[in-house]
Amino acid sequence: MTNPSTAITTGQKITGEPFAPTRETIRDFCEASLDFNPLHLDDDYMKNSFGKTQFGGIIMHGMNNFGVITRMLTDWVYAHGGMQRRLETRWKAPVKPGDVITPSAVVTSSRTTAGGQWFTLDVSVHNQRGEIVAAGEAMVEVPLAH
Amino acid sequence: MTETTFETDFWKDNALRKTWEQIIPGEPRKTIPYTLTLEAIQKYCRVIGDMHPLYFDEAYARSTLYKGLIAPPAIHILLMFSCTPADDWMRSPGTVNAGQSWSYNIPARPGDTIRLEARALDKFIKKDRLFVVHDNVFFNQHNQVICSGRGWTIRPQ
Repeated sequence: MTNPSTAITTGQKITGEPFAPTRETIRDFCEASLDFNPLHLDDDYMKNSFGKTQFGGIIMHGMNNFGVITRMLTDWVYAHGGMQRRLETRWKAPVKPGDVITPSAVVTSSRTTAGGQWFTLDVSVHNQRGEIVAAGEAMVEVPLAH
Repeated sequence: MTETTFETDFWKDNALRKTWEQIIPGEPRKTIPYTLTLEAIQKYCRVIGDMHPLYFDEAYARSTLYKGLIAPPAIHILLMFSCTPADDWMRSPGTVNAGQSWSYNIPARPGDTIRLEARALDKFIKKDRLFVVHDNVFFNQHNQVICSGRGWTIRPQ
């Protein structure tokens, strides 16, 4: 891999592939992650109240969202010869079957250290109504060529 | 090849799991070493729609700085459940994930035997919700850190 990190600039925006969860993809995510919490499987259970929150039906795993964001970051940074170093997320709203979510990120700063060039990004995920469902911050590193 | 079977009915062992009251910040959680297979990596990738050749194309992966197939960084999503027993409180039905923060060192690879060191780090009540913060470090068979992270969960009432 070469080191085309000069192509990454502050203010650069990246957008990931949309993800359209269905009951089947949520079930598949249970199988792939081994997370079989009834939040993701059992509509009757989801008729209950969760403290002040009512979901009204099964929801997608928050970590499915984490995986969708990761895919965006790695598709982008691998092409620059770099790697994902950090991802912090907060889930702002539930994602349900039938929604379409799209991750995006903006490079907010860069810092060169002894070993590489590090970039910080603001990350967000929006649904098809333009509502924010996840927000966070990421860091990627493009190692310096030695 | 035999594959470890994992309990998929999260109600079954629920009486054995620690409640918010019983969770002690700082106390290690029981964990189980897990051998990560290429099949498990690719199953996860397909569900996410992440078909990067670093996870699927051996010849391509060998030509990169990784010198072979790797798992995507977020494979800890699977490792969290594959490295913990059925009575771990992460499986309590109604556990809501509020946020996560992960730092990545080196990639996990197919064939790695993964070890988890995990504990609750903190617990608190906010807006009438019972929170527990969990703290996790995954190691490979060479005792190298793969990744470390924290998660904020809202516990079932």
